[in-house]
Amino acid sequence: MTAITSQTYLKTRVAVMAKQLYSPRRFEDLIHSPLETLGKDFSLVGLIEQGLSPATLNRVAEKALIRTLMQELSVLLRPLEGPARSILVHWIRKFELYNLKAIIRGKLKELPFDQIRENLHDLPPLISLPHERLLRTENILELLRQLEEGPYRDIAHQARRVYEEKNEPFSLDAAIDHSYYTGLLRRASAAEPKDRSSLLRLLGAMIDQQNLIWLLRYRFSYGLSATETYFLLIPFGRRLFRDHLKLLVNEDSFEGVIEGLRGHFKDVMSDVGNALEAERILDNETAAQAHQSLRFSPSAVTRSLAYLVLREMDLKRIYAVIQGKVLKLDDSLIRTAAGMPGVPGEETQARVAGHV
Amino acid sequence: MFSPLPMKHVMLQIMTDELPQASLTLAELAVFSPDHRPVHEESFPIIPGERFRELYSQAGSRLEKIGRHIALPPQVHLGRIHVISEQDLKKTNAWLGEVWERCSALEETLRDLQEEEQMIHQLEQALENFSHLNIDLSLLRGERLFLDLRIGMVPRANVTQLREALGLADYLLFVYMEHEHNAHVVVVGPRGKREDELGSVLDTAGFRPLPIPPELHDEPEKVRKELETRRHRIEQERIRQLESMKTCSEALREDLEAARSTLVMAEPFVRLDTAARSAGHLSIISGWIPARDIDRTEKALTRVLEDPFRLNARRPSAEERLLVPSYLPKHWLMAPFATLVKQYGVPRYGEVDPTAIFAVTFIAMFGMMFGDIGHGLTIVLAAWLARRKLKSFTAFAVCIGLSATLFGFLYGSVFGYEGILKAVWIPPLSDPLYMLSVALKWGIAYLLLITLISVHNRMVERDITRAIFDSNGLVSLVFYLGMIYGLWNYYANGAFGLGAMLLSVTALIALLAYKLIETEAPPGERMLVALIETFETVTGYISNTLSFLRIAAFSLNHVALAVAVFHLADMMESTHGHLLMVIFGNLFILVLEGAIVTIQALRLEYYEGFSRFYSGDGTEFRPLRLETGITA
Repeated sequence: MTAITSQTYLKTRVAVMAKQLYSPRRFEDLIHSPLETLGKDFSLVGLIEQGLSPATLNRVAEKALIRTLMQELSVLLRPLEGPARSILVHWIRKFELYNLKAIIRGKLKELPFDQIRENLHDLPPLISLPHERLLRTENILELLRQLEEGPYRDIAHQARRVYEEKNEPFSLDAAIDHSYYTGLLRRASAAEPKDRSSLLRLLGAMIDQQNLIWLLRYRFSYGLSATETYFLLIPFGRRLFRDHLKLLVNEDSFEGVIEGLRGHFKDVMSDVGNALEAERILDNETAAQAHQSLRFSPSAVTRSLAYLVLREMDLKRIYAVIQGKVLKLDDSLIRTAAGMPGVPGEETQARVAGHV
Repeated sequence: MFSPLPMKHVMLQIMTDELPQASLTLAELAVFSPDHRPVHEESFPIIPGERFRELYSQAGSRLEKIGRHIALPPQVHLGRIHVISEQDLKKTNAWLGEVWERCSALEETLRDLQEEEQMIHQLEQALENFSHLNIDLSLLRGERLFLDLRIGMVPRANVTQLREALGLADYLLFVYMEHEHNAHVVVVGPRGKREDELGSVLDTAGFRPLPIPPELHDEPEKVRKELETRRHRIEQERIRQLESMKTCSEALREDLEAARSTLVMAEPFVRLDTAARSAGHLSIISGWIPARDIDRTEKALTRVLEDPFRLNARRPSAEERLLVPSYLPKHWLMAPFATLVKQYGVPRYGEVDPTAIFAVTFIAMFGMMFGDIGHGLTIVLAAWLARRKLKSFTAFAVCIGLSATLFGFLYGSVFGYEGILKAVWIPPLSDPLYMLSVALKWGIAYLLLITLISVHNRMVERDITRAIFDSNGLVSLVFYLGMIYGLWNYYANGAFGLGAMLLSVTALIALLAYKLIETEAPPGERMLVALIETFETVTGYISNTLSFLRIAAFSLNHVALAVAVFHLADMMESTHGHLLMVIFGNLFILVLEGAIVTIQALRLEYYEGFSRFYSGDGTEFRPLRLETGITA
């Protein structure tokens, strides 16, 4: 395929796939649908009828949704090569990094490898780490030595330093996340000129979201200093610039950070009262940018990435809904877990611990 | 010889305690392939040996990792074969754990030494840099009242971000040198309450302090010597560690071999996995055994099992046919051909095993295309000389070499010279049309044989309809014969002939009717699909038959290439030049044409042959065995 045909092909492909994305209305319907109907949409009917345990059903549902995303990615990757392909592949590596974090945490807690394995995603060989070999390592240092031999060498080096100095999993997670987003940004900067600016705009929105979430989490949940928090941020966002981030990290309270926001973020986040709500709004902001890139970007790879970002958000929400239905949770709780706004006029008191 | 051995499905009912012994005996016999289907799940819900498998898996992984440091001979000598209990395995695993801990510590020490060496290298670079500066280095060392000053290095990628982060704590960062992936930096700021948070951010950024020796400015040579001594000490330590590991491995090797034997003897029970199920004291093992080995298995189990047991054997049911493993007898002569057949796939149980047919036809086609006594004998000689590298493929190369030699006698060709020996049959270039007709007849015979095998395979599957009406069924065979008969009539008498016409047209109509019935689609689409598929069957037979003309074409090509070589040789002015041209020309023919002819023969086998009758989606019989690495 020539560059023009592959661009046209990819844009058409993405446009067709984009029809699968869920509108807010469709999500509303989903929340009110019985579990069996959800199962039918995601080929889980047989499993639901078999009466599997909630934990097993959740695992199966999660696997099915990730498989869907992987299949769609493989379709989008076909016409791509070079830096454009490398961006999409790097983006999907986030799932492998979830696995890597799970393995590292498991090793730190000295969990048996079968128990760690249960928490790993099934991923295609393109991005998959040699799980079995990593699981068979007997301590964190051996694990890091193994990683130093593969494509995650840089992460492993950084992780080792952090582990040796601090010896706790949070720092490792932060190092891995930072390295992932820096890698994404590096690849976008190396993309062809026709793709670069639109890619950086989309990534900028994603990085803004991450920066703000990290800032709130590192400063107020983990109690890191302003300097360390700033070091762990990526000052290449779309709206949150370097100097603004420096001011924000110096704030001593959650409210102070929210009040310190400017422009668009100030408008949308002025009423935010907790981290979960902030995450939901930031998700919506990224989604808005992704929707815009999907419709108007002249770059096919940006549209593909935007589609994948939106699709992942949808699948996460669907998973949260299925999980909620399996556990027979209340609709308002499911709504919160899925990061959806509350029903107008209804006070949503439900709070869930952790993330979807 | 032409189909996999008859198999029986067996269910062994034994006492749970005797599962390890039974699995070991079955592995010794190497005739049992486990059946992992959960067919008796309800009556026998437990899968025994979970802990045993965990221990085995961990011990196996440890032994593999230890193997990177302590080499063991490739073959395992088991000594007395005995049952491995969970306790034995636990002990072995724990011991392997201790050994691996030592190996792992060694890996970590070597890694640390390497890091330290790199650090010294960085320090040398830094000191080299400092030695040219006209400053009092003592100012950079020690505690100061108002100033927090640190010298060290950080990864270059982190410098900008770190500088800005430190700025938030009123610290400054200066880069004074960059070396490899690191930047050497000076961090300076006011002493005070933010001093503490600095350590944490520096750690996160990968900052490593570089100690500045006090004597650097006054006695740089002394510092250099000191660093050299440290480097030497690291090297000595590395040698010492490796030596100590070597000594340790000598002492451990025997025990490691014993541990490996333990794992080999434990493996059969592990490999049984879900093929063994239990319901308390009673257990079952399900699997497949060649029918001829049932009695032998029963006798062996009677000898070793203390408690009563029961071995039920039955024929595989029609539904199980696809699951039955195909036992393909192994013969040294057939081994390379079997490997090539397996590249396409494994025959289903009951289907014709094409290895023997493949071997005979491949050897014959290669010889026909590459007939030359000199070239054939060269291949035989080369194969014999390279037998250690070729291993089982020596027989393959010798066979095709001999075939080329035989056809060389038939064609009267020695290294391309056709006048030395009188052709027993015919020199190919003397009558190319005759050669083409022979190739065509060979192709027709080959396709008839393949179609008959296809019919047989469908019959074995009890799929009578497809055996008769499918694209490679009896009806299409009748059509093919009718066409050949008609074309022969046309060639001999100038007319297709009524009989041949009736035969072909009737078969064609039957074929079309079957396709129409078989296709599930709306009427228009059904007609279109049936017509296209019938047309494809007709063109398939024609094109496949014509494809065999390449056999004659390559036999002619072989002679033509030799003629070209001789022409070039004749153009040489000296005898040496002539001789060299003949030698290199023949080498060229041997290598290039030899490779092409091999590929063409393989293509005819795979595409014209196998695709017609061979599904290749069978399961190879892989019995439980003691994996000693010694070929039986």
